[in-house]
Amino acid sequence: MTTLLRVFRFAFQNIMRNFWLSLITVSMMMFTLLSVNVLVALNLVADRAIAYVQDKVEVSVYFDSDVPEPRVVDAAGFLRGLEQVRDVSVITPDEALERFKERHARDETVLRSLEEIGKNPFGPTLVVKARHPGDFPFILEALDHPQFANDIRDKDFTDYQGVIDRIRETSDRARAFGIGLSVVFLMIAMLVVFNTVRMGIIIHREEISIMKLVGASSAFVRAPFLIEAILLSLIASALAVLVVVPLVALIDPGIGAFFDGASTIDLLGYYQVNGVALFLAQFVVLAGVSMLATGFAMRKYLRV
Amino acid sequence: MIELHNVSKVYPPNVVGLRDVSLHVKPGEFVSIVGQSGTGKTTLAKMLFAEERPTHGRVTIGGWDITAIRDRDVPLLRRQIGVVFQDFKLLPRKTVFENVAFALEVSGAPSRRIKEVVPQVLKIVNLHEKGRRYPGQLSGGEQQRVVIARSLVHRPKILVADEPTGNLDLVNTQEIVDLLKTINQFGTTVVLVTHNRDVVNALKKRVITLSGGEVSSDEEEGRYKV
Ligand SMILES: Nc1ncnc2c1ncn2[C@@H]1O[C@H](COP(=O)(O)OP(=O)(O)O)[C@@H](O)[C@H]1O
Ligand SMILES: [Mg+2]
Repeated sequence: MTTLLRVFRFAFQNIMRNFWLSLITVSMMMFTLLSVNVLVALNLVADRAIAYVQDKVEVSVYFDSDVPEPRVVDAAGFLRGLEQVRDVSVITPDEALERFKERHARDETVLRSLEEIGKNPFGPTLVVKARHPGDFPFILEALDHPQFANDIRDKDFTDYQGVIDRIRETSDRARAFGIGLSVVFLMIAMLVVFNTVRMGIIIHREEISIMKLVGASSAFVRAPFLIEAILLSLIASALAVLVVVPLVALIDPGIGAFFDGASTIDLLGYYQVNGVALFLAQFVVLAGVSMLATGFAMRKYLRV
Repeated sequence: MIELHNVSKVYPPNVVGLRDVSLHVKPGEFVSIVGQSGTGKTTLAKMLFAEERPTHGRVTIGGWDITAIRDRDVPLLRRQIGVVFQDFKLLPRKTVFENVAFALEVSGAPSRRIKEVVPQVLKIVNLHEKGRRYPGQLSGGEQQRVVIARSLVHRPKILVADEPTGNLDLVNTQEIVDLLKTINQFGTTVVLVTHNRDVVNALKKRVITLSGGEVSSDEEEGRYKV
Protein backbone atom coordinates (compact mmCIF):
# COMPACT_ATOMS: atom_id res chain seq x y z
CA MET A 1 0.00 0.00 0.00
CA THR A 2 2.73 2.44 0.98
CA THR A 3 4.67 1.28 -2.04
CA LEU A 4 1.70 1.88 -4.30
CA LEU A 5 1.30 5.40 -2.95
CA ARG A 6 4.98 6.07 -3.53
CA VAL A 7 4.76 4.77 -7.08
CA PHE A 8 1.83 7.10 -7.71
CA ARG A 9 3.72 9.99 -6.16
CA PHE A 10 6.72 9.36 -8.38
CA ALA A 11 4.46 9.08 -11.43
CA PHE A 12 2.81 12.36 -10.53
CA GLN A 13 6.20 14.00 -10.03
CA ASN A 14 7.25 12.73 -13.45
CA ILE A 15 4.24 14.39 -15.00
CA MET A 16 4.77 17.70 -13.21
CA ARG A 17 8.50 17.91 -13.80
CA ASN A 18 7.95 17.10 -17.40
CA PHE A 19 4.95 19.39 -17.60
CA TRP A 20 5.14 20.62 -21.20
CA LEU A 21 5.89 17.22 -22.58
CA SER A 22 3.02 15.79 -20.56
CA LEU A 23 0.77 18.49 -21.97
CA ILE A 24 1.76 17.65 -25.53
CA THR A 25 1.26 13.97 -24.82
CA VAL A 26 -2.22 14.55 -23.44
CA SER A 27 -3.08 16.79 -26.39
CA MET A 28 -2.04 14.20 -28.93
CA MET A 29 -3.92 11.51 -27.04
CA MET A 30 -6.95 13.76 -27.01
CA PHE A 31 -6.76 14.42 -30.74
CA THR A 32 -6.64 10.68 -31.23
CA LEU A 33 -9.74 10.18 -29.14
CA LEU A 34 -11.54 13.05 -30.85
CA SER A 35 -10.92 11.61 -34.28
CA VAL A 36 -12.05 8.22 -33.02
CA ASN A 37 -15.26 9.79 -31.78
CA VAL A 38 -15.81 11.59 -35.06
CA LEU A 39 -15.43 8.18 -36.63
CA VAL A 40 -17.92 6.64 -34.23
CA ALA A 41 -20.43 9.43 -34.82
CA LEU A 42 -19.95 9.21 -38.55
CA ASN A 43 -20.56 5.49 -38.55
CA LEU A 44 -23.67 5.90 -36.50
CA VAL A 45 -25.07 8.67 -38.70
CA ALA A 46 -24.34 6.71 -41.86
CA ASP A 47 -25.82 3.48 -40.51
CA ARG A 48 -28.93 5.16 -39.24
CA ALA A 49 -29.30 7.21 -42.40
CA ILE A 50 -29.12 4.05 -44.48
CA ALA A 51 -31.61 2.35 -42.20
CA TYR A 52 -33.83 5.38 -42.50
CA VAL A 53 -33.73 5.31 -46.27
CA GLN A 54 -34.13 1.55 -46.39
CA ASP A 55 -37.21 1.96 -44.30
CA LYS A 56 -38.61 4.16 -47.05
CA VAL A 57 -38.17 1.57 -49.72
CA GLU A 58 -41.58 0.38 -50.78
CA VAL A 59 -43.56 -1.12 -53.63
CA SER A 60 -46.64 0.68 -54.76
CA VAL A 61 -49.22 -1.66 -56.26
CA TYR A 62 -51.71 0.21 -58.39
CA PHE A 63 -55.02 -1.45 -58.93
CA ASP A 64 -57.33 -0.72 -61.84
CA SER A 65 -59.72 2.02 -60.90
CA ASP A 66 -62.73 -0.29 -61.20
CA VAL A 67 -61.49 -2.93 -58.80
CA PRO A 68 -63.90 -3.16 -55.85
CA GLU A 69 -62.52 -2.52 -52.45
CA PRO A 70 -62.92 -6.03 -50.94
CA ARG A 71 -60.60 -7.42 -53.60
CA VAL A 72 -58.01 -4.84 -52.66
CA VAL A 73 -58.40 -5.69 -48.99
CA ASP A 74 -58.02 -9.37 -49.92
CA ALA A 75 -54.79 -8.64 -51.68
CA ALA A 76 -53.59 -6.59 -48.71
CA GLY A 77 -54.43 -9.53 -46.43
CA PHE A 78 -52.51 -11.91 -48.66
CA LEU A 79 -49.48 -9.68 -48.67
CA ARG A 80 -49.61 -9.24 -44.90
CA GLY A 81 -49.50 -12.99 -44.63
CA LEU A 82 -46.17 -13.11 -46.40
CA GLU A 83 -43.19 -13.47 -44.18
CA GLN A 84 -41.14 -10.97 -46.16
CA VAL A 85 -43.71 -8.19 -45.83
CA ARG A 86 -43.32 -5.83 -42.97
CA ASP A 87 -46.22 -3.50 -43.56
CA VAL A 88 -49.02 -2.95 -46.03
CA SER A 89 -51.08 0.18 -46.16
CA VAL A 90 -54.11 0.78 -48.32
CA ILE A 91 -54.41 4.04 -50.18
CA THR A 92 -57.72 5.10 -51.54
CA PRO A 93 -57.94 6.63 -55.02
CA ASP A 94 -58.30 10.13 -53.55
CA GLU A 95 -55.26 9.75 -51.38
CA ALA A 96 -53.38 8.29 -54.31
CA LEU A 97 -54.19 11.39 -56.35
CA GLU A 98 -52.98 13.65 -53.59
CA ARG A 99 -49.79 11.69 -53.24
CA PHE A 100 -49.14 11.80 -56.91
CA LYS A 101 -49.67 15.55 -57.02
CA GLU A 102 -47.36 16.00 -54.12
CA ARG A 103 -44.66 13.89 -55.60
CA HIS A 104 -44.77 15.76 -58.88
CA ALA A 105 -45.45 19.17 -57.37
CA ARG A 106 -42.62 20.69 -59.34
CA ASP A 107 -43.35 18.96 -62.59
CA GLU A 108 -45.64 21.30 -64.57
CA THR A 109 -46.15 18.96 -67.52
CA VAL A 110 -47.30 16.10 -65.37
CA LEU A 111 -49.68 18.25 -63.37
CA ARG A 112 -51.12 19.82 -66.53
CA SER A 113 -51.73 16.45 -68.15
CA LEU A 114 -53.40 15.32 -64.95
CA GLU A 115 -55.75 18.27 -65.23
CA GLU A 116 -56.46 17.39 -68.85
CA ILE A 117 -57.69 13.96 -67.84
CA GLY A 118 -60.28 15.73 -65.72
CA LYS A 119 -61.11 12.86 -63.40
CA ASN A 120 -59.11 10.84 -60.87
CA PRO A 121 -57.18 8.32 -62.94
CA PHE A 122 -56.02 6.41 -59.90
CA GLY A 123 -57.40 3.28 -58.52
CA PRO A 124 -56.73 1.98 -55.01
CA THR A 125 -53.11 1.48 -54.18
CA LEU A 126 -51.29 -0.77 -51.80
CA VAL A 127 -48.03 0.42 -50.36
CA VAL A 128 -45.92 -2.55 -49.36
CA LYS A 129 -42.83 -2.36 -47.21
CA ALA A 130 -40.51 -5.29 -47.12
CA ARG A 131 -38.44 -6.48 -44.22
CA HIS A 132 -35.33 -6.33 -46.39
CA PRO A 133 -34.75 -4.52 -49.67
CA GLY A 134 -33.72 -7.88 -51.11
CA ASP A 135 -37.22 -9.26 -50.58
CA PHE A 136 -38.83 -7.04 -53.19
CA PRO A 137 -38.35 -9.34 -56.19
CA PHE A 138 -40.16 -12.09 -54.28
CA ILE A 139 -43.03 -9.79 -53.33
CA LEU A 140 -43.38 -8.51 -56.86
CA GLU A 141 -43.46 -12.07 -58.14
CA ALA A 142 -46.08 -13.09 -55.61
CA LEU A 143 -48.34 -10.41 -57.03
CA ASP A 144 -48.10 -12.01 -60.43
CA HIS A 145 -50.40 -14.71 -59.07
CA PRO A 146 -53.45 -14.78 -61.39
CA GLN A 147 -55.77 -14.09 -58.49
CA PHE A 148 -54.39 -10.55 -58.36
CA ALA A 149 -52.57 -10.06 -61.59
CA ASN A 150 -55.70 -9.17 -63.54
CA ASP A 151 -56.68 -6.41 -61.14
CA ILE A 152 -53.27 -4.85 -61.01
CA ARG A 153 -52.49 -2.16 -63.45
CA ASP A 154 -48.96 -1.46 -62.49
CA LYS A 155 -46.33 -2.08 -59.91
CA ASP A 156 -43.85 0.60 -59.06
CA PHE A 157 -40.74 -0.19 -57.16
CA THR A 158 -39.46 3.08 -55.75
CA ASP A 159 -35.82 2.35 -55.92
CA TYR A 160 -33.76 4.07 -53.27
CA GLN A 161 -30.83 1.84 -53.99
CA GLY A 162 -29.08 4.75 -55.67
CA VAL A 163 -29.50 6.91 -52.62
CA ILE A 164 -28.32 4.17 -50.31
CA ASP A 165 -25.34 3.54 -52.50
CA ARG A 166 -24.44 7.18 -52.44
CA ILE A 167 -24.68 7.37 -48.65
CA ARG A 168 -22.57 4.23 -48.43
CA GLU A 169 -20.00 5.59 -50.81
CA THR A 170 -19.72 8.91 -49.02
CA SER A 171 -19.64 7.38 -45.59
CA ASP A 172 -17.12 4.75 -46.65
CA ARG A 173 -14.85 7.45 -47.93
CA ALA A 174 -15.32 9.51 -44.79
CA ARG A 175 -14.75 6.40 -42.70
CA ALA A 176 -11.53 5.55 -44.50
CA PHE A 177 -10.36 9.09 -43.94
CA GLY A 178 -11.42 8.96 -40.29
CA ILE A 179 -9.65 5.65 -39.72
CA GLY A 180 -6.55 6.99 -41.43
CA LEU A 181 -6.65 10.13 -39.32
CA SER A 182 -7.15 8.16 -36.10
CA VAL A 183 -4.29 5.84 -36.93
CA VAL A 184 -2.01 8.77 -37.74
CA PHE A 185 -2.96 10.54 -34.53
CA LEU A 186 -2.53 7.35 -32.54
CA MET A 187 0.89 6.81 -34.01
CA ILE A 188 1.94 10.38 -33.29
CA ALA A 189 0.54 10.05 -29.77
CA MET A 190 2.54 6.88 -29.23
CA LEU A 191 5.73 8.48 -30.54
CA VAL A 192 5.09 11.35 -28.16
CA VAL A 193 4.51 8.94 -25.28
CA PHE A 194 7.70 7.14 -26.20
CA ASN A 195 9.60 10.41 -26.22
CA THR A 196 8.02 11.59 -22.98
CA VAL A 197 9.12 8.42 -21.24
CA ARG A 198 12.57 8.74 -22.78
CA MET A 199 12.82 12.29 -21.45
CA GLY A 200 11.51 11.16 -18.09
CA ILE A 201 14.21 8.50 -17.91
CA ILE A 202 16.87 11.03 -18.85
CA ILE A 203 15.63 13.60 -16.37
CA HIS A 204 15.51 11.01 -13.62
CA ARG A 205 18.64 9.10 -14.48
CA GLU A 206 20.37 10.08 -11.24
CA GLU A 207 17.39 9.05 -9.17
CA ILE A 208 17.12 5.84 -11.13
CA SER A 209 20.78 4.97 -10.66
CA ILE A 210 20.46 5.63 -6.94
CA MET A 211 17.27 3.61 -6.77
CA LYS A 212 19.03 0.67 -8.34
CA LEU A 213 22.05 1.11 -6.12
CA VAL A 214 20.11 1.05 -2.89
CA GLY A 215 18.14 -2.00 -3.88
CA ALA A 216 14.91 -0.80 -5.46
CA SER A 217 13.33 -3.62 -7.41
CA SER A 218 13.14 -3.25 -11.14
CA ALA A 219 9.35 -3.24 -10.88
CA PHE A 220 9.50 -0.28 -8.52
CA VAL A 221 11.67 1.65 -10.95
CA ARG A 222 9.40 0.88 -13.89
CA ALA A 223 6.00 1.19 -12.28
CA PRO A 224 5.93 5.01 -12.10
CA PHE A 225 6.41 5.26 -15.86
CA LEU A 226 3.58 2.82 -16.50
CA ILE A 227 1.35 4.61 -14.00
CA GLU A 228 2.25 7.86 -15.73
CA ALA A 229 1.09 6.41 -19.05
CA ILE A 230 -2.20 5.41 -17.43
CA LEU A 231 -2.67 8.79 -15.75
CA LEU A 232 -2.01 10.70 -18.96
CA SER A 233 -4.44 8.45 -20.82
CA LEU A 234 -7.01 9.04 -18.11
CA ILE A 235 -6.61 12.81 -18.34
CA ALA A 236 -6.85 12.70 -22.13
CA SER A 237 -9.98 10.55 -21.94
CA ALA A 238 -11.60 12.89 -19.43
CA LEU A 239 -10.85 15.87 -21.64
CA ALA A 240 -12.21 14.01 -24.65
CA VAL A 241 -15.47 13.45 -22.76
CA LEU A 242 -15.59 17.14 -21.90
CA VAL A 243 -15.20 18.06 -25.56
CA VAL A 244 -17.21 15.34 -27.28
CA VAL A 245 -20.35 15.31 -25.15
CA PRO A 246 -21.19 19.03 -25.46
CA LEU A 247 -20.28 18.89 -29.13
CA VAL A 248 -22.68 16.01 -29.72
CA ALA A 249 -25.39 17.85 -27.79
CA LEU A 250 -24.75 20.88 -29.98
CA ILE A 251 -24.87 19.20 -33.39
CA ASP A 252 -27.51 16.57 -32.59
CA PRO A 253 -30.53 18.82 -33.35
CA GLY A 254 -28.93 19.83 -36.64
CA ILE A 255 -28.50 16.24 -37.74
CA GLY A 256 -32.00 15.47 -36.58
CA ALA A 257 -33.42 18.30 -38.63
CA PHE A 258 -31.52 17.18 -41.70
CA PHE A 259 -33.39 13.91 -41.66
CA ASP A 260 -37.01 14.44 -40.84
CA GLY A 261 -37.15 13.95 -37.11
CA ALA A 262 -34.71 14.12 -34.24
CA SER A 263 -35.38 10.51 -33.36
CA THR A 264 -34.02 9.18 -36.65
CA ILE A 265 -30.34 9.54 -35.88
CA ASP A 266 -30.35 10.46 -32.19
CA LEU A 267 -26.60 10.78 -31.78
CA LEU A 268 -27.07 12.28 -28.35
CA GLY A 269 -29.26 9.41 -27.27
CA TYR A 270 -26.63 6.99 -28.53
CA TYR A 271 -23.97 8.67 -26.41
CA GLN A 272 -26.30 8.77 -23.42
CA VAL A 273 -26.80 5.03 -23.65
CA ASN A 274 -23.37 3.90 -24.82
CA GLY A 275 -21.15 6.83 -23.86
CA VAL A 276 -19.78 5.33 -20.67
CA ALA A 277 -18.85 2.04 -22.30
CA LEU A 278 -17.54 3.85 -25.36
CA PHE A 279 -15.23 6.18 -23.48
CA LEU A 280 -14.19 3.42 -21.11
CA ALA A 281 -13.20 1.27 -24.05
CA GLN A 282 -11.30 4.16 -25.59
CA PHE A 283 -9.49 4.77 -22.32
CA VAL A 284 -8.58 1.13 -21.91
CA VAL A 285 -7.23 0.86 -25.44
CA LEU A 286 -5.39 4.17 -25.18
CA ALA A 287 -3.86 3.25 -21.82
CA GLY A 288 -2.91 -0.17 -23.13
CA VAL A 289 -1.19 1.17 -26.21
CA SER A 290 0.51 3.90 -24.17
CA MET A 291 1.84 1.34 -21.74
CA LEU A 292 3.16 -0.60 -24.70
CA ALA A 293 4.96 2.52 -25.98
CA THR A 294 6.24 3.10 -22.45
CA GLY A 295 7.48 -0.47 -22.34
CA PHE A 296 9.39 0.02 -25.58
CA ALA A 297 10.94 3.25 -24.30
CA MET A 298 11.96 1.58 -21.04
CA ARG A 299 13.44 -1.37 -22.85
CA LYS A 300 15.51 0.96 -24.95
CA TYR A 301 16.58 3.51 -22.38
CA LEU A 302 16.13 2.00 -18.95
CA ARG A 303 18.72 -0.55 -18.03
CA VAL A 304 17.38 -2.05 -14.87
CA MET B 1 32.41 -12.36 3.97
CA ILE B 2 33.81 -11.54 0.52
CA GLU B 3 35.47 -14.15 -1.65
CA LEU B 4 36.88 -13.79 -5.14
CA HIS B 5 38.14 -16.90 -6.90
CA ASN B 6 40.29 -16.30 -9.97
CA VAL B 7 38.12 -13.41 -11.07
CA SER B 8 38.79 -11.82 -14.44
CA LYS B 9 36.89 -9.08 -16.13
CA VAL B 10 37.26 -8.28 -19.79
CA TYR B 11 35.30 -5.31 -21.12
CA PRO B 12 34.32 -5.65 -24.72
CA PRO B 13 36.08 -5.78 -27.05
CA ASN B 14 39.22 -6.74 -25.10
CA VAL B 15 40.02 -4.24 -22.34
CA VAL B 16 41.20 -6.09 -19.29
CA GLY B 17 39.66 -4.73 -16.07
CA LEU B 18 40.75 -7.51 -13.73
CA ARG B 19 43.04 -10.44 -14.29
CA ASP B 20 42.80 -13.59 -12.20
CA VAL B 21 42.12 -11.90 -8.86
CA SER B 22 41.62 -14.07 -5.79
CA LEU B 23 41.08 -12.68 -2.35
CA HIS B 24 39.20 -13.30 0.85
CA VAL B 25 37.90 -10.61 3.18
CA LYS B 26 36.76 -11.76 6.60
CA PRO B 27 33.72 -10.36 8.42
CA GLY B 28 34.51 -7.10 10.20
CA GLU B 29 37.68 -6.45 8.25
CA PHE B 30 38.71 -3.03 6.97
CA VAL B 31 40.43 -3.39 3.60
CA SER B 32 41.98 -0.65 1.51
CA ILE B 33 42.38 -1.19 -2.18
CA VAL B 34 45.03 0.92 -3.83
CA GLY B 35 46.68 1.12 -7.20
CA GLN B 36 47.25 3.41 -10.10
CA SER B 37 44.46 4.74 -12.22
CA GLY B 38 43.00 2.15 -14.56
CA THR B 39 44.22 -0.86 -12.63
CA GLY B 40 40.76 -2.23 -11.95
CA LYS B 41 39.94 -0.90 -8.48
CA THR B 42 36.52 0.36 -9.46
CA THR B 43 35.86 -2.79 -11.45
CA LEU B 44 36.65 -4.86 -8.38
CA ALA B 45 34.41 -2.72 -6.19
CA LYS B 46 31.53 -3.03 -8.67
CA MET B 47 31.83 -6.82 -8.63
CA LEU B 48 30.86 -6.77 -4.98
CA PHE B 49 27.36 -5.43 -5.58
CA ALA B 50 26.80 -7.02 -8.99
CA GLU B 51 27.14 -3.81 -10.95
CA GLU B 52 29.63 -5.78 -13.03
CA ARG B 53 29.72 -9.53 -13.51
CA PRO B 54 32.98 -11.42 -13.78
CA THR B 55 33.98 -12.75 -17.17
CA HIS B 56 35.71 -15.66 -15.44
CA GLY B 57 35.93 -16.80 -11.86
CA ARG B 58 33.53 -16.71 -8.96
CA VAL B 59 32.34 -14.04 -6.52
CA THR B 60 30.78 -14.99 -3.21
CA ILE B 61 29.30 -12.50 -0.73
CA GLY B 62 28.41 -13.80 2.73
CA GLY B 63 28.26 -17.32 1.37
CA TRP B 64 26.01 -16.25 -1.51
CA ASP B 65 27.48 -17.02 -4.91
CA ILE B 66 26.62 -13.93 -6.94
CA THR B 67 28.70 -14.81 -9.98
CA ALA B 68 25.63 -15.32 -12.13
CA ILE B 69 23.09 -13.58 -9.90
CA ARG B 70 19.70 -13.16 -11.51
CA ASP B 71 18.57 -9.60 -12.22
CA ARG B 72 15.65 -9.88 -9.89
CA ASP B 73 17.89 -10.98 -7.02
CA VAL B 74 20.21 -8.00 -7.39
CA PRO B 75 18.00 -5.72 -5.23
CA LEU B 76 18.20 -8.26 -2.41
CA LEU B 77 21.99 -8.17 -2.58
CA ARG B 78 22.09 -4.40 -2.64
CA ARG B 79 19.96 -4.12 0.45
CA GLN B 80 22.80 -5.82 2.27
CA ILE B 81 25.64 -3.75 0.88
CA GLY B 82 26.18 -0.05 1.42
CA VAL B 83 27.73 1.71 -1.54
CA VAL B 84 29.53 5.04 -1.59
CA PHE B 85 30.44 5.88 -5.15
CA GLN B 86 31.30 9.08 -6.91
CA ASP B 87 28.74 8.39 -9.65
CA PHE B 88 25.96 8.21 -7.11
CA LYS B 89 25.56 11.70 -5.82
CA LEU B 90 22.87 13.32 -3.76
CA LEU B 91 19.69 14.54 -5.41
CA PRO B 92 20.00 18.33 -5.37
CA ARG B 93 16.27 18.96 -5.11
CA LYS B 94 15.79 16.81 -2.06
CA THR B 95 16.78 17.75 1.46
CA VAL B 96 19.37 15.79 3.37
CA PHE B 97 16.62 13.93 5.19
CA GLU B 98 14.76 13.20 1.94
CA ASN B 99 17.92 12.01 0.22
CA VAL B 100 18.52 9.47 2.94
CA ALA B 101 14.84 8.56 3.19
CA PHE B 102 14.73 8.04 -0.60
CA ALA B 103 16.94 4.97 -0.28
CA LEU B 104 14.44 3.41 2.10
CA GLU B 105 11.35 4.56 0.23
CA VAL B 106 12.35 3.01 -3.05
CA SER B 107 13.18 -0.31 -1.49
CA GLY B 108 9.74 -0.56 0.02
CA ALA B 109 10.41 0.27 3.66
CA PRO B 110 7.33 1.30 5.64
CA SER B 111 7.07 4.97 6.59
CA ARG B 112 7.42 4.16 10.27
CA ARG B 113 10.80 2.60 9.68
CA ILE B 114 11.91 5.57 7.60
CA LYS B 115 11.07 7.97 10.41
CA GLU B 116 13.05 5.81 12.77
CA VAL B 117 16.09 4.93 10.70
CA VAL B 118 16.87 8.20 8.94
CA PRO B 119 17.53 10.22 12.12
CA GLN B 120 19.64 7.33 13.40
CA VAL B 121 21.97 7.25 10.43
CA LEU B 122 22.11 11.05 10.24
CA LYS B 123 23.21 10.94 13.85
CA ILE B 124 25.97 8.46 13.04
CA VAL B 125 27.40 10.86 10.45
CA ASN B 126 26.76 13.76 12.82
CA LEU B 127 24.37 15.60 10.53
CA HIS B 128 21.14 15.12 12.46
CA GLU B 129 20.78 18.86 12.82
CA LYS B 130 21.08 19.55 9.10
CA GLY B 131 18.33 17.25 7.85
CA ARG B 132 16.36 20.11 6.36
CA ARG B 133 19.20 21.53 4.32
CA TYR B 134 19.68 20.95 0.64
CA PRO B 135 22.93 19.39 -0.59
CA GLY B 136 23.92 22.73 -2.12
CA GLN B 137 23.95 24.22 1.36
CA LEU B 138 26.51 21.72 2.66
CA SER B 139 30.29 21.48 2.38
CA GLY B 140 31.84 18.74 0.28
CA GLY B 141 32.70 16.72 3.36
CA GLU B 142 29.19 17.06 4.73
CA GLN B 143 27.71 15.97 1.43
CA GLN B 144 29.92 12.90 1.42
CA ARG B 145 28.75 12.12 4.97
CA VAL B 146 25.15 12.26 3.77
CA VAL B 147 26.06 9.79 1.04
CA ILE B 148 27.54 7.53 3.71
CA ALA B 149 24.42 7.94 5.84
CA ARG B 150 22.34 6.92 2.84
CA SER B 151 24.49 3.83 2.35
CA LEU B 152 23.80 2.80 5.94
CA VAL B 153 20.01 2.79 5.89
CA HIS B 154 19.78 -0.93 5.27
CA ARG B 155 22.28 -1.61 8.08
CA PRO B 156 24.63 -3.23 5.59
CA LYS B 157 27.08 -5.97 6.49
CA ILE B 158 29.47 -4.58 3.91
CA LEU B 159 30.28 -1.01 2.98
CA VAL B 160 32.01 -0.40 -0.35
CA ALA B 161 33.47 3.07 -0.80
CA ASP B 162 35.16 4.06 -4.05
CA GLU B 163 37.41 7.10 -3.57
CA PRO B 164 35.11 8.70 -1.01
CA THR B 165 37.69 11.36 -0.23
CA GLY B 166 38.62 12.07 -3.83
CA ASN B 167 37.53 15.70 -3.87
CA LEU B 168 38.02 16.57 -0.23
CA ASP B 169 40.61 18.58 1.68
CA LEU B 170 42.68 17.15 4.52
CA VAL B 171 40.28 17.90 7.35
CA ASN B 172 37.25 16.56 5.56
CA THR B 173 39.20 13.53 4.39
CA GLN B 174 40.14 12.73 7.97
CA GLU B 175 36.51 13.09 9.06
CA ILE B 176 35.34 10.66 6.42
CA VAL B 177 38.04 8.12 7.25
CA ASP B 178 37.20 8.37 10.95
CA LEU B 179 33.58 7.82 10.10
CA LEU B 180 34.44 4.71 8.09
CA LYS B 181 36.49 3.43 11.00
CA THR B 182 33.56 4.00 13.35
CA ILE B 183 31.24 2.13 11.02
CA ASN B 184 33.80 -0.67 10.86
CA GLN B 185 33.91 -0.80 14.64
CA PHE B 186 30.16 -1.36 14.64
CA GLY B 187 30.96 -4.61 12.81
CA THR B 188 30.51 -3.63 9.18
CA THR B 189 33.08 -4.94 6.74
CA VAL B 190 34.57 -1.94 4.93
CA VAL B 191 36.17 -1.98 1.50
CA LEU B 192 37.80 1.34 0.79
CA VAL B 193 39.20 2.17 -2.62
CA THR B 194 41.55 5.10 -2.39
CA HIS B 195 44.39 7.00 -3.94
CA ASN B 196 45.36 8.69 -0.73
CA ARG B 197 48.77 7.61 0.56
CA ASP B 198 48.41 9.29 3.94
CA VAL B 199 45.01 7.80 4.59
CA VAL B 200 46.24 4.30 3.89
CA ASN B 201 49.39 4.67 5.91
CA ALA B 202 47.54 6.11 8.91
CA LEU B 203 44.93 3.37 8.90
CA LYS B 204 47.36 0.54 9.59
CA LYS B 205 44.90 -1.95 8.20
CA ARG B 206 45.01 -4.50 5.41
CA VAL B 207 46.05 -3.10 2.03
CA ILE B 208 45.51 -4.79 -1.32
CA THR B 209 47.46 -3.27 -4.17
CA LEU B 210 46.33 -3.77 -7.74
CA SER B 211 48.44 -3.25 -10.79
CA GLY B 212 47.37 -3.99 -14.31
CA GLY B 213 44.26 -5.71 -13.03
CA GLU B 214 46.22 -8.11 -10.85
CA VAL B 215 46.82 -8.23 -7.11
CA SER B 216 50.46 -7.22 -6.76
CA SER B 217 50.51 -7.20 -2.97
CA ASP B 218 48.18 -8.00 -0.09
CA GLU B 219 49.45 -7.11 3.39
CA GLU B 220 47.82 -7.44 6.81
CA GLU B 221 49.04 -4.10 8.10
CA GLY B 222 50.08 -2.54 4.83
CA ARG B 223 51.41 0.68 3.54
CA TYR B 224 50.71 2.57 0.37
CA LYS B 225 53.15 1.54 -2.32
CA VAL B 226 52.23 2.18 -5.88
N1 LIG C 1 32.48 0.04 -18.66
C1 LIG C 1 33.71 -0.13 -19.16
N2 LIG C 1 33.87 -0.43 -20.46
C2 LIG C 1 35.09 -0.62 -20.98
N3 LIG C 1 36.21 -0.52 -20.30
C3 LIG C 1 36.12 -0.21 -18.99
C4 LIG C 1 34.86 0.00 -18.36
N4 LIG C 1 35.08 0.28 -17.05
C5 LIG C 1 36.41 0.25 -16.89
N5 LIG C 1 37.03 -0.05 -18.04
C6 LIG C 1 38.48 -0.23 -18.24
O1 LIG C 1 38.92 -1.20 -17.33
C7 LIG C 1 40.17 -0.83 -16.75
C8 LIG C 1 40.01 -0.71 -15.25
O2 LIG C 1 39.14 0.37 -14.95
P1 LIG C 1 38.74 0.78 -13.46
O3 LIG C 1 38.29 -0.43 -12.77
O4 LIG C 1 37.81 1.90 -13.54
O5 LIG C 1 40.15 1.26 -12.87
P2 LIG C 1 40.43 2.19 -11.61
O6 LIG C 1 39.20 2.33 -10.82
O7 LIG C 1 41.50 1.46 -10.89
O8 LIG C 1 40.92 3.46 -12.16
C9 LIG C 1 40.53 0.48 -17.41
O9 LIG C 1 41.40 0.20 -18.48
C10 LIG C 1 39.24 1.03 -17.91
O10 LIG C 1 39.47 1.80 -19.06
MG1 LIG D 1 38.16 4.13 -10.20
